[in-house]
Amino acid sequence: MSPGFGNGLELRQLGREVGGRCLLDRLDLQVAPGECVALLGPSGCGKSTTLRLVAGLDPASGGQVLLDGVDLTGRSPGERQVAMVFQSYALYPHLSVEGNLELGLKVRGMAPRERQRRIDATLELLQLGELRQRRPAQLSGGQRQRVALARALLRQPRIVLLDEPMSNLDAQLREDLRPELRRLLCGREQPVIYVTHDQQEAVGMADRIALLEAGRLQQVGSPRELYTNPANRFVASFLGRPAINLLAIEPGRQLGLRPEHLRLGDDGAVAARLLRREWWGHQQLLWVDSPWGTLRVLTAPEAPMPPEPRLGWQRRHELWFDPDSGARLAA
Amino acid sequence: MKNRTLSLLLMLPALLLLAAVFLYPLLRYGWLSLHASSVLTGLVPIPNGGANWGRLLDDARFWTDAGQTLRFAFCSVALELLGGLGLALLLHRPLRGRGPLRALTLLPWALPTTVMALGWRWIFNDPHGPLNAALRSLGGSSYGFLSTPATTWFFVVLADVWKTLPFVALLLLAGLQTIPADLEEALRLEGATRLQILRRLTLPLLVPYLTLALLFRLAQALGVFDLIQVLTGGGPAGSTESLALYAYLNAMRFLDFGYASTVMLATFLLLLVSLGGGWLLLRRHGLARSTERAA
Repeated sequence: MSPGFGNGLELRQLGREVGGRCLLDRLDLQVAPGECVALLGPSGCGKSTTLRLVAGLDPASGGQVLLDGVDLTGRSPGERQVAMVFQSYALYPHLSVEGNLELGLKVRGMAPRERQRRIDATLELLQLGELRQRRPAQLSGGQRQRVALARALLRQPRIVLLDEPMSNLDAQLREDLRPELRRLLCGREQPVIYVTHDQQEAVGMADRIALLEAGRLQQVGSPRELYTNPANRFVASFLGRPAINLLAIEPGRQLGLRPEHLRLGDDGAVAARLLRREWWGHQQLLWVDSPWGTLRVLTAPEAPMPPEPRLGWQRRHELWFDPDSGARLAA
Repeated sequence: MKNRTLSLLLMLPALLLLAAVFLYPLLRYGWLSLHASSVLTGLVPIPNGGANWGRLLDDARFWTDAGQTLRFAFCSVALELLGGLGLALLLHRPLRGRGPLRALTLLPWALPTTVMALGWRWIFNDPHGPLNAALRSLGGSSYGFLSTPATTWFFVVLADVWKTLPFVALLLLAGLQTIPADLEEALRLEGATRLQILRRLTLPLLVPYLTLALLFRLAQALGVFDLIQVLTGGGPAGSTESLALYAYLNAMRFLDFGYASTVMLATFLLLLVSLGGGWLLLRRHGLARSTERAA
C-alpha cells in the first residue's frame, strides 16, 4: 500500500508550533498517486493544520512536504498546484458559478478561449451547466459543494485537499454524495487528502485512514487494519460505533471488547443483567449490567434472550491495553 | 392589507418625529425663501415672489462658494477613502499590538472639531507655528499656509482628512472583517498576488462599505461649517468659504433670513444631487450585485 520512494505526496517530520503550543508533532505520512488518505480525529487533533501545511497556507515549523520527490516546503500556495475544497466551500459571493470557476484561471493569465473550454468541460462533468449564471447565495448546500469541487478540479491540480467537505450537508445527502465524490476525486493521478471527523465518511471515502489525536499520528492503515488491529486504546475507542467496551478485568491490564464480540448466552463467563435495549432494525444494542460495569452488546435483532443470561466472548477478539498509557499490550 | 395598516401605524411615531425635526424646518425654509425677511423689513416676512431665488442666480459669491464647497468635499472624501482603505488594510493585517494601534488611530476622530481646528491653526501659523519652524530649520522660509488664497483650501482639506480618515478606516475595517479568511486563501491557492486579491476579491466585497463611507462623508463634507469657521473663518479673501458658512453669515451677520433660507435650500439640493450621484455611481459598480439576495 505504501508508495515507492519519491512517488506521490510525502510528509516528512512535518510539524507546526504556535506560541509554544504544538499543533502538529512530527508527522510522517505518505500518499500514493491516486490514493485517498483520510485524516481522521476529533476537533483540534491537527488534521486541518496538516492540510494547511500541505497547501502552504501556514508555515511549517519543522519538516518537509515533498511531491514526487520535490521539496515544496518553501513554496507559496500558488506555486504548489494544490486544489483545496474548504469546509465553508469559500465560494466568492460576488461572482456567479461561472465567475467562481473563471477567477482562478484569470488570475493565472490563461487565455479566454482556453478558460471557456475548461469551464464548460468541468461544468458538464459535474452537471452544473444550468446553474452557471447563479450566485452562491442562490444555490443549495449540495450545489455549493459541487461548485467548490468543480473549482478544485478545474485546474488539474497535482494534489487535492478536502477539508470536511461534507460537514455542512445533511446526513442523507452526505451518504448520497460519497460515491460521486470518490468517482470524481480518487483513482486519478493526484494524491488526495480528505479531512473529516466522521469515521463513516473516512471509511467510505478513503483507501487508508490516518488517525490523529492531540497533534500526534496514532495509526495509519486501511480501515480494516485500524479496526481489527488498533495500535492503542484511542484508536480502538475512536473507531467503531457503538464504542468498544473497556473492562478493568485484572490489575495492570485493561481489556477491550467490541460490542459485536460480546455474546449473551447460557454458558458465558459471568452473569449479566439486561438493563435496556435499543432496537435498530438490522441490529439491536443491549445495555448490560455486569461485574465490570455497564457494557454494550450488539446482537441480531431477533436474538433470543436466555432467562438467566451470561456474558461470554472468544479469546481471539480480546484487545489488551495498558490502563495508564493506553498502549496496546500483547494478548 | 391589514398588516400594511398596522405597519404604517407602528411607523407613525418615528415618522412624526422625523417630520417635526426635518420636514417642518425644510418647509419653513421653503416658505421663508419666498419672503423678504431681514432687518430692513423689521424681521417681518413679506412675500416677494421669487426675488430671493433670482438674487441667488446672480450671486457670484454663492456660486464661488458652491464651487469651493464641492472642491473641498470631493478632494477630502477622495483622500479619506483612499487613505482610509490603506489604513484599514494595514490594521486588518495581524500585527503586534494591533488592538492599541486601532484605538490610537481613532483619536483624531474622537477629538471635537473646534479643538482640533484650533490645533491645526497653530500648526499652520505663520510664522510661529511648528510647521513653519520645521520649514525654516530645513533651510526654507515661512509659508502662509492659511493666508495664501490659492492654496489655503488644500490645507483645510488636509486638516479634515486628518480628522475623518480614522472614521472611514474604521468603517472599512469593519467591512474587511466580514470577509471570511478562506476566500482569500482560496484565491491565494490559485496563485493570486496581493494586488489581484485586492482587486478581484476584497474591493468588490467592500463596495457596500465604501458606498456607506462615501455617502456619510459626502453629506458631512458638503455641509462643512465648524472646521472652516475655526480654522480660517472662510478666508483668506473668502477662498475657503463654504455654502454652510455663507448661509450662516446671511442669517447671523446680515440678518437676512429670507435669503439665508434660500441659500440653505440650495445647499440642500446640491447635497441631494451629489449623494444621488455618488450612490448611482457605486451602484453601477457592483453595489446592487453584492447586496443582492437569493431570488
